[in-house]
Amino acid sequence: MRWLIFFGVFISLHAQNKQLLYGFTEVPQQILLNPGAQVDYRGYIGVPLLSHIHFNAGITGFSAFDVFADDGKDFNQKIRDVVYKLDSKDFFGFNQQLDVFSVGLSVKKSYEKTFFISFGMYQESDIFSYYPKDYAILAYEGNYNNLNKRFDLGQLNVSAEVLSVFHVGVNKKINSKWTLGLRGKVYSSIAQASSTDNTGSFITIPGTNNNLNHIFDLDMKLQTSGVSFLEDPSANKGLDILKKRLLFGGNLGVGIDVGFTHQPSPEWTVDASLQDVGFINYSKDVKNYILDGYLQYDGVQSVFPQVTSGQTAQDYWDEVEDDFEELFKIDSTSTSYTKWRPIKLNSSVSYNFGRKVDKECNCLSKSDTTFQNRVGAHLFAMKRPNHLQWALSAFYYRKIVKGLQLKTSYTVDAYSFKNVGLGASAALGSVQFYVMADNLLSYQNLAKSQSVSLQLGFNYIFKNNEN
Amino acid sequence: MKTRSFFKKHISLLFVLGACFSCIKDTDFNQSTSITLNPIMEVNLVEVQETADSFLDASEAEVLMISDLIVLDIFSSNFINDNLIKTELVFEVTNSLNKAFQIKMDFYDPSNVLQYSFFIDIDNSLTNTPLVTNHTEVFEAMSLAALKSSTQLDISIILMSSPTGSVLTADSIGNINLTSKGIFYFELKE
Repeated sequence: MRWLIFFGVFISLHAQNKQLLYGFTEVPQQILLNPGAQVDYRGYIGVPLLSHIHFNAGITGFSAFDVFADDGKDFNQKIRDVVYKLDSKDFFGFNQQLDVFSVGLSVKKSYEKTFFISFGMYQESDIFSYYPKDYAILAYEGNYNNLNKRFDLGQLNVSAEVLSVFHVGVNKKINSKWTLGLRGKVYSSIAQASSTDNTGSFITIPGTNNNLNHIFDLDMKLQTSGVSFLEDPSANKGLDILKKRLLFGGNLGVGIDVGFTHQPSPEWTVDASLQDVGFINYSKDVKNYILDGYLQYDGVQSVFPQVTSGQTAQDYWDEVEDDFEELFKIDSTSTSYTKWRPIKLNSSVSYNFGRKVDKECNCLSKSDTTFQNRVGAHLFAMKRPNHLQWALSAFYYRKIVKGLQLKTSYTVDAYSFKNVGLGASAALGSVQFYVMADNLLSYQNLAKSQSVSLQLGFNYIFKNNEN
Repeated sequence: MKTRSFFKKHISLLFVLGACFSCIKDTDFNQSTSITLNPIMEVNLVEVQETADSFLDASEAEVLMISDLIVLDIFSSNFINDNLIKTELVFEVTNSLNKAFQIKMDFYDPSNVLQYSFFIDIDNSLTNTPLVTNHTEVFEAMSLAALKSSTQLDISIILMSSPTGSVLTADSIGNINLTSKGIFYFELKE
């Protein structure tokens, strides 16, 4: 439980929302968020393992400060307050991405008919869990004083996955107004575990014959694939398996990203993308655990064998024990299963202004004549098992000088209204570096933070000749 | 060029300063050393429903007592042993027989050594109206240790003579009912 609380330090409400990176034209990795983004360079090579590092983790509903504040209050009381304050819609999320390699280049088919092809491979980890409040209440209070309270066992909803993704994308500027893009993905799941389709309950009600009647109704399922190597004590073997699965030896799946950018006028831009419209089929190294049963228990009847021959209380007791064993018996299967990837939507509307104009006409000038400022709004939404996770940002982008751009964003979602982020891209010659972090206000005291999210990377850019 | 490096310096300075000024204040992370949960579970136990017949032998004469034995290996499980800090066994006995009883509970360990014993006295019901007797047996410290080492429970209903009580026959009116539940207090420490 303690590790869970420590994660409270890094609380995030919008895991996988990369509002700073989205639409940041100078950073090549933006085309992973929108395959139809505008590209104004000839190509790029990401520095292997360093081109995109993304980390994001958190819990909604409370911050580490709520429990670890040095305020003299009883620690267990503070934990208790949090346990009762959160509800079953609160969640914990962790997401990490690492670009293994990424490359992009323009392919000239004929004069002015240029495609931009990008491909690469990244590794991703994702853990997501709703807060199972009823389990927490049961652990805190037990069923005593909770007569007639139905403990919802379906609140257990947790998933975790490590996978590698190989992707190839095509980006095409159709005309001055439209850019379209499509990216195909092959997923290779290294390990996956999820328990997301649970139903059932536990309730204690006043019984008819005796004091109490306990009703257990269980329909729970845990699906796993690729985790059997954990049981193997040989670390080297485990590492070999991981390497193999990283390179398409895991459970495979396919998916696509689609996106567009529309510029009705030079000042206005509308863009949108859908990411990870796809699935993975889990058939290798699959182990599913099923807990399915119903039991009403209202005590053991004592019969006193001296007077009535036959069943004794012990027989009843044995029967009860058998019933409970049967109830909690876990069946395991190796049936394959398919899971949809968490689909993500990004969309933004922005307005460009402040074109840099040289005072004197100089045809040989290499100064930047594009718009220097952009303001806009960005919407992010992501499908989670029980809800749609969303975030809305307002952003301001500014070219400070050639080779240095800044973007700042203010993000709101259902839980936080004070998320300010800042991102910068700097180019030194052809080497481009970017770093982006949000929830900067909370850096004054990370313990009070509702989010810390970080993205950074290095690329080598092949600029357009005119640049 | 100068302007560029000026800005670059400032931007990197901004991030470095951001990292420097970010901190965790007014907190004490050592507090997490003891997270304690105190759930209380309430569970149905034994139920008894007997009429006068149950206390008669083949020749319809009163027996001295009736008893039943239950093997309870649950109390000796590791989880119970480590985390159970208190137990209350709550009994409700309703007697409408015109006969006094003593209900005796004996707890034995695997070698059949008596670990703990208690009894509940039940008055006779002169007019066969239901008489309710409540009894709560609390197990803490020594008695809880005795309960944890027990694996068998012997329940006896002993027939007692009383000044107004009658001798039971097959025609005696009424019955004796016992319901019981256990309230188990746990302390789960990390």
